[in-house]
Amino acid sequence: MEKGIKIFLCIVFFFCFVAAGAAFAEDEEAEYPTEPIIFTKPVKAVIFDHKLHVEDSGLDCDSCHDDIFEMEAGTAEQNKDFTMKALYEGKYCGQCHDGDTAFASNTRCTLCHIGVKGYNRMTGVKPKGHGGHE
Amino acid sequence: MKGNRSDKPNYVTDEERREFLKLGLKITGVLAGGSILSLVPLPEDEAKALVELEGYEKTSYKPHYVMVIRQNHCVDCEKCKEACVKTNHVPDYGYRTTILEKLAEDDEGKKFPIFMPVLCNHCLNPPCVRVCPTKATTKDPKTGIVVMHYHKCIGCKTCMAACPYNARYFNEEKRAIDKCNFCLDTRLSKGEKLTACAAACPAHVRVFGDFSDHESEVWKLVHQPDKAVWVLRPETGAKPCIFYMND
Repeated sequence: MEKGIKIFLCIVFFFCFVAAGAAFAEDEEAEYPTEPIIFTKPVKAVIFDHKLHVEDSGLDCDSCHDDIFEMEAGTAEQNKDFTMKALYEGKYCGQCHDGDTAFASNTRCTLCHIGVKGYNRMTGVKPKGHGGHE
Repeated sequence: MKGNRSDKPNYVTDEERREFLKLGLKITGVLAGGSILSLVPLPEDEAKALVELEGYEKTSYKPHYVMVIRQNHCVDCEKCKEACVKTNHVPDYGYRTTILEKLAEDDEGKKFPIFMPVLCNHCLNPPCVRVCPTKATTKDPKTGIVVMHYHKCIGCKTCMAACPYNARYFNEEKRAIDKCNFCLDTRLSKGEKLTACAAACPAHVRVFGDFSDHESEVWKLVHQPDKAVWVLRPETGAKPCIFYMND
């Protein structure tokens, strides 16, 4: 009998480890790029923050990947239809940013469009001087 | 950029403050678009139609070129700047048009930038023209465009100081002041209907057209009873012809 209990406990421990391992693996999967993604095409520049969308909005990786966006950053930018028009038709960001799930794509432009100035700030590029006005 | 007025939309000079008090808080605050001198925010319905359009309707310019800027659509992609530089050979130490930025907060306290395209306002009463000692800058009698006659310019920079909009720079190559002329020589005179910046804008922020034509988009945009339209630094009395609105 004692032997049976030992085996039982062993099995229990084993499953505990498996479960813990699985949970750990899930944590791994929930990680996301900490640096914001910056799109520069077709216009400079649009910011996407994973942290905001995952932690504040509660989205999972598979909310967007790989159906709406490929995992690899910069893939969508290569598409000719990566435009505001496509967003209004419900593609890319427009899948959620439709005025229903999240604010509509044709509103609050500069929340995502950080412009050349925002891009330069984030990448540390110094803007060209205007000597005539200094 | 330091100390320049138009780079700092929130900065108020002594003269402006004086004018502001003379005119009365409410009216000036609204004419300044609630962004420059707004101490007393007005309710939406009072804010409407406070741009004094009378002077603008009575000009003899035909076509009378103006620009309407749909400010909240600007995302600072700066394609307008690129197009202007390329079309008008603007050196990197100056600009004919640029984009200003200021931070605002939405209802949830989230910060976002407001981008404000600026250029020569082609004023009806241009201070630059008034102060030029050699008549090197004038109003084009046909179109109302404030033009430069480079060969007459002695580079005294008085016009630069007089301009309320910081819209002029000294061009080293030309040895003269240079400024936006709505692409009169580079495009309009060649049959193009739009300035380079307006043509390059992907968001239809810069709407360019003839204010003497009541069927034009610019005229219609400005004459919407339910939309607030403003101009920059109205208190100077220069009667600027760049109109701003959100829509």
